[in-house]
Amino acid sequence: MPDPVLLIAIPLGFAFLIPLLGFISRKIEKFVPPVAMAVNILLSIKLIPYVMKKPIVSSLGGFLHPFSINLYVGPVGLFFSLLISFVGFLVSLYAISYIKEGATQKYHMLFLLLLTGANGAALTADIFNLFVFSEILCISSYALVAYTGSKAGVESATKYLIQGSIGSAFFLIAIGLIYGQFGTLNMAEIAQHVHSVKPINIYLPIAMIISGIGVEAAIFPINAWLPDAHSSAPSTISAVLSGIAIKIGLYVILRFVFTIFGATNLLLILIITAIVTVLVGEFSAFSQNNIKRMLAYSSTGQIGLILFAISLGTSQGISAGFFQLITHTLSKSILFLSTGYMIVKAGSMDMENMIGMGKRMPVSSLSFTIGAFSLVGLPPFIGFPSKFLIVKAAIAKGDILSIVLIILVLLGTVIEAAYFFRAVQTLYFKGDSSSIQRDEAPAIALIPLLLLIVSIIGIGVYPHFLTGFLNKVSSELLNRIAFIRGILG
Amino acid sequence: MGFLNSYIYYIASFGLIFIGLYILVAKSNLIKMIIGLNIADSGVNLLLISIGYIKRGTAPIFSKPNLNPKLMVDPVPQALVLTAIVIGVAVLALALSFAVRLFQHYDTLDMRKIKEQRW
Repeated sequence: MPDPVLLIAIPLGFAFLIPLLGFISRKIEKFVPPVAMAVNILLSIKLIPYVMKKPIVSSLGGFLHPFSINLYVGPVGLFFSLLISFVGFLVSLYAISYIKEGATQKYHMLFLLLLTGANGAALTADIFNLFVFSEILCISSYALVAYTGSKAGVESATKYLIQGSIGSAFFLIAIGLIYGQFGTLNMAEIAQHVHSVKPINIYLPIAMIISGIGVEAAIFPINAWLPDAHSSAPSTISAVLSGIAIKIGLYVILRFVFTIFGATNLLLILIITAIVTVLVGEFSAFSQNNIKRMLAYSSTGQIGLILFAISLGTSQGISAGFFQLITHTLSKSILFLSTGYMIVKAGSMDMENMIGMGKRMPVSSLSFTIGAFSLVGLPPFIGFPSKFLIVKAAIAKGDILSIVLIILVLLGTVIEAAYFFRAVQTLYFKGDSSSIQRDEAPAIALIPLLLLIVSIIGIGVYPHFLTGFLNKVSSELLNRIAFIRGILG
Repeated sequence: MGFLNSYIYYIASFGLIFIGLYILVAKSNLIKMIIGLNIADSGVNLLLISIGYIKRGTAPIFSKPNLNPKLMVDPVPQALVLTAIVIGVAVLALALSFAVRLFQHYDTLDMRKIKEQRW
């Protein structure tokens, strides 16, 4: 069995290998991230059979239980590490041709560090370690948003940095308060003793965690950085931020609410926040004329949808939410990656300049269309089974509130369909396209798009391929006792 | 006075955090905002330290015989603060380099005038 710590160590090691390789040749650096991510994919796949039998708990540095930092690789951790390494691999393949100018060496290093932070945050079982990894993720994403050095990039990175730092200060205060009460930082020990303190004493930490890490997760009132940052970053970074970074924020909230505090009575607040997030995100996306800003707002809406499904709190709802998480990661990556070269060729992000792209860049436009249809939830793409499962889970829960809320969510979906269809119409059917020459993106950038198309349609046609795994994921989040026993023995 | 005596560190650290947050909300100069961020960060670090502090406590090292382990301060928060300070320095450096870049682009650091990105 491979040691799960390698999932964190490999991207970290390769990240710092890049400047050393720079002494030999500057041409190697862009191939390092795909290699590191390919190794990570292999490791994660190798871990699947072991994790399916029993979650892996590994102690870092060879220290024994009360002194060590644990890694807990259950179905949830493996889910994220598979998703991160898959998307990271495809995005870094795309970046081989896409990232040409500026400090390319630093770009590839920071990209790998971002993925290290994401992987570590998903795998660790120690709350301070979680904070450190989420800071690695955040700091590298601040720097990457400003990578182009343009006016818009630096401005939105500054805003993102200020909001993100306030968020992490709150998160650190919460960690301090938790440590003061429980005298431990281990998730399992906190979960074990959480009922021995008065409920009033954990309200403040939990509120600070939700509002602090909620900045990273972009849930509604604290998502102001997202549209700026996602639209002015390079497209590869938008794909990673949208596909991975905000999901990690969401994961942290869920880990605290479900596993550590078992605070299921908070789900009502989360579900209402989720609905507001869906509606605000989708309505704002509808009124955008800038294609990347539209996609960024749609990410907000989708985060709301995922949070809605998971905060239903039933095992069906959680697995539907994680299914939607896969849908959004794959579809939003394909959308951002396909718009990447469209923006380069059109010279602008405005919708009007995208007219005729269907003929000029057929493969990219087709990928955009598939991603859009998948997010809207049309069969045979992956979005259909996931949305179907969310509706099914809400109805199966049976109370009037969930039924009313799912209607609001579906309203959001209708708006989403409206703006995505408008975008697809602009690509294919607007303007006179008879004189347009074919001018497609380079072949190496099309490979990740094709792989994403294959996986979107593949999972869309065979959703059962995933359901067993997703059920394990939902039972890990719901079953606190097994989590505690798994770590403490 | 008993209350003040036993909670003075908590009051001070939350005071620093709120001063920092107030600067972030009320000031529009980016450099001042970054200073506010740093004050809030120091407040958080002080809070962590004071959680592990014991009055007249010693370092948790058995450097002399007959040291009472109950009078030793908790070393874990100190280790956390060491890490948090390093993270704070990284964020500070990044924020200042953004400020330099913004000044090159806009010739001002007033965040009210830097608002090309809007809803």
